[in-house]
Amino acid sequence: MVITWQREALPGRSWEVRLSVARHFRLIAASLVACSISSIALAQSYPARPVSLIVPAPTGGGTDVFARVLAEIVEGDLKQKFVVENRSGAGGTLGTTQIVAAKPDGYTVGFIWNSPLTTSPHSLNVAYTPDSYRAVMSIGFSSYVLCAQPGFPAKDAQEFIAKLKAPDAKYTYGNDGIGGTMQLAAERIFQSAGVKVRGIPFGGAGETAKNFLGGHVDFYGGSLPPILPHAQAGKAKCLLLTSAAKNPALPETDGLSALALDKAETVLWWGLIVPKDVPEPVFETLQKAFITAAGSEKFKAAMAKQGATLRVLDGKATDALIRTELTALGEVAKSLGIQKKTP
Amino acid sequence: MTSANFLLNGLWIAVQPKNLLLCFIGCFWGSIVGVLPGLGPLAGMALLLPLTFSLDPTGAIIMLCGIFYGAMYGGSTTSILMRIPGEAASVVTCIDGYEMAKKGRAGAALSIAALGSFVGGVLSVIGLMLVAPRLADAMLAIGPAAEFTILLAALGVSIFAASGPLLKTIAMIALGLVLAMIGLDPLTATPRFTFGSLNLSDGLSFAAMAIGLFGISEILMSFSQTITERPQAPKLREMLPTKQELKDSAMPTVRGSFIGFFFGIVPGVGHIVSTFASYAVEKALSKHPEEFGKGAVAGVAGPETANNATTGAAMIPLLVLGIPAIPVTAVLLSALTIHGVQPGPLMIAQHPEIFWGLIASMLIGNFMLVVLNLPLVGLFVSMLRLPYGFLAPTILLVCIIGVYSIKASGFDLMVMVAFGILGYALRLMSFDIAPLLLAFVLGDRLEVNFRRALTISEGDYGIFLKGPAAQVAVAMVIAVTIGVLILKLRRWKAAA
Repeated sequence: MVITWQREALPGRSWEVRLSVARHFRLIAASLVACSISSIALAQSYPARPVSLIVPAPTGGGTDVFARVLAEIVEGDLKQKFVVENRSGAGGTLGTTQIVAAKPDGYTVGFIWNSPLTTSPHSLNVAYTPDSYRAVMSIGFSSYVLCAQPGFPAKDAQEFIAKLKAPDAKYTYGNDGIGGTMQLAAERIFQSAGVKVRGIPFGGAGETAKNFLGGHVDFYGGSLPPILPHAQAGKAKCLLLTSAAKNPALPETDGLSALALDKAETVLWWGLIVPKDVPEPVFETLQKAFITAAGSEKFKAAMAKQGATLRVLDGKATDALIRTELTALGEVAKSLGIQKKTP
Repeated sequence: MTSANFLLNGLWIAVQPKNLLLCFIGCFWGSIVGVLPGLGPLAGMALLLPLTFSLDPTGAIIMLCGIFYGAMYGGSTTSILMRIPGEAASVVTCIDGYEMAKKGRAGAALSIAALGSFVGGVLSVIGLMLVAPRLADAMLAIGPAAEFTILLAALGVSIFAASGPLLKTIAMIALGLVLAMIGLDPLTATPRFTFGSLNLSDGLSFAAMAIGLFGISEILMSFSQTITERPQAPKLREMLPTKQELKDSAMPTVRGSFIGFFFGIVPGVGHIVSTFASYAVEKALSKHPEEFGKGAVAGVAGPETANNATTGAAMIPLLVLGIPAIPVTAVLLSALTIHGVQPGPLMIAQHPEIFWGLIASMLIGNFMLVVLNLPLVGLFVSMLRLPYGFLAPTILLVCIIGVYSIKASGFDLMVMVAFGILGYALRLMSFDIAPLLLAFVLGDRLEVNFRRALTISEGDYGIFLKGPAAQVAVAMVIAVTIGVLILKLRRWKAAA
């Protein structure tokens, strides 16, 4: 009885399978058609509903401010809400993972700074590479700066490095944390110049500034805004930027060009990314809208207030920047003994 | 112009109808986010930050600051009524505030918390006005070594604040320190105890832990037959504090103000540390220390005053140095820089209207808050009239929404539930949960400052005695240790 039942059942089951393949084929075909229609429709109607703009940083920081100002301008252009959602955590990698894993329909896009893309992957096990997302554009950068106490016996970058090279040189500098972009930026310069400075990691540029002003570390290393008012008040002597060029906010301070180390430039920059498979027309729409927004007077003013430099790049150029930076910082991280730790 | 003239000028700016309205909106919204567990001042400010883009810088900072100190008022509400800390600074209030509610003194506890908050808030603004530049110098003098020592003293204080036996308290502190180690190593970014999960790489969420340990565990306790005592809704005429209660809370309020303002200079953790310190001081000075943990008025008045008194001092690094010492002031900083105002040593001279307008608005805002909060006491207390069968699910829902709203993270909800169960177990074995939370908050800063100091000195322990700030801090640790020992010994003798 049992055997007969099995014999009868088996062909039946395979018939079922065939039937379901045929059914699925029709379904797949139908959905393919639907897809192509919808992608045409998408190009014409995108964005048809509010877009979430994920920012992997907390509210109120530079990244968040730029995202919000851009979102406001783009909203006016595309006639659709761009809702900023802050998803901070794990140095921005949590939010970035969410952006990369989002449905690639153009309704989830991410505004990021470079660290989760080019720095964190060297120390954290992140679930993405430059191939798992697509860079849409980038807006510009802000350099980091190294400042010494007002009495430090050096007046420019040349003398600064010369002091660091002295055989009895024993200095400490505060940075934004081990494995962070600031530390890698500084170490990249120190290595290129052949000097050694002991890094003391702090929770951020504000904390570094506090400890620098209190005299607990010799040099300040971090972004411009926290130290700028103190440099103006004569409480800090800023000697070297991590960008090749000078910065108008600190006209006295040398860029890396003064040391002929242009290639060691590492800066903090911001841009827009989307999941890899976003339809081309949607990508084009976003790229155009955000590049236009970044060029607007309103946005230029926002950048200037945060001491950042406008340098708008399209998706292709941003992608190239990400890949070069990822490799270069990977080498610095490796030489510092920072490696991806499999927890 | 003298300071008085500047202040009058500031008052004139603060009473402009628009600024007055913004101050009210800030205080009102602050009270709401303070009441809601999970949602703290930071989230509240973040939500309203985009609105400030279209305001002038003075109006923007008046409103955002209102949220900051407004939240300190609201935080005590759920602590007292439901044993859920509204924000980190209200953990201590859960202890005696909730016990007072069980005795039907919820109204009195809420009123005393509001009055204490008012006194602490106003005194700290006056302190900010008078000694801001000098205190800023003191803050700079505190380097990693001194900060470590101060935090160590704070941990020592918590041993005394705890109600249980010494060994159990130390066990809880150790557990808190261990839990604080979860996440990325603060110096080398090596993941520790994360089990490969990105969710754990930032460590456990304090709000999820605190709400779980206190709120969820309380609901679990209520299921068991052993607990029959629940907060009682007071009758209308029992709503206000009695003369004796007011008398008992007068001195703790004054002391709390000074303690709070002093701890405001400790970056990042001042709010919560000051509440523990105030609680410990009140317990040490009290003639009836045995009442602490069983509904002592001073155990509510002192800490609730202290956490408000820190807000004034916490503003100093931002306003005088342009350095955001805590996340809340980082949001204020960004609200100012968006308008091209760079806080720092030159701001008071360059933008006196912002500094003095803000000071004046903080004074006005504190008046608004006490007027706003006292009538609300009746409304909040009437919630206790609900049958517990309705109240418990409501509390649970509030906990879930609160924790979820912080990072929209389902993982945090699991943390909350897990710690609810842990809290339940610990309470069955009569462990005191508060020291665990304090140790958890301090653990991170303790470790990072200890290691930073030794990195600076290349392993030389002498750095912990170098410089006036470090020496004062060490003196504090010694004083606290001796104080704890003497008092414990005296109690032990008295009991024998």
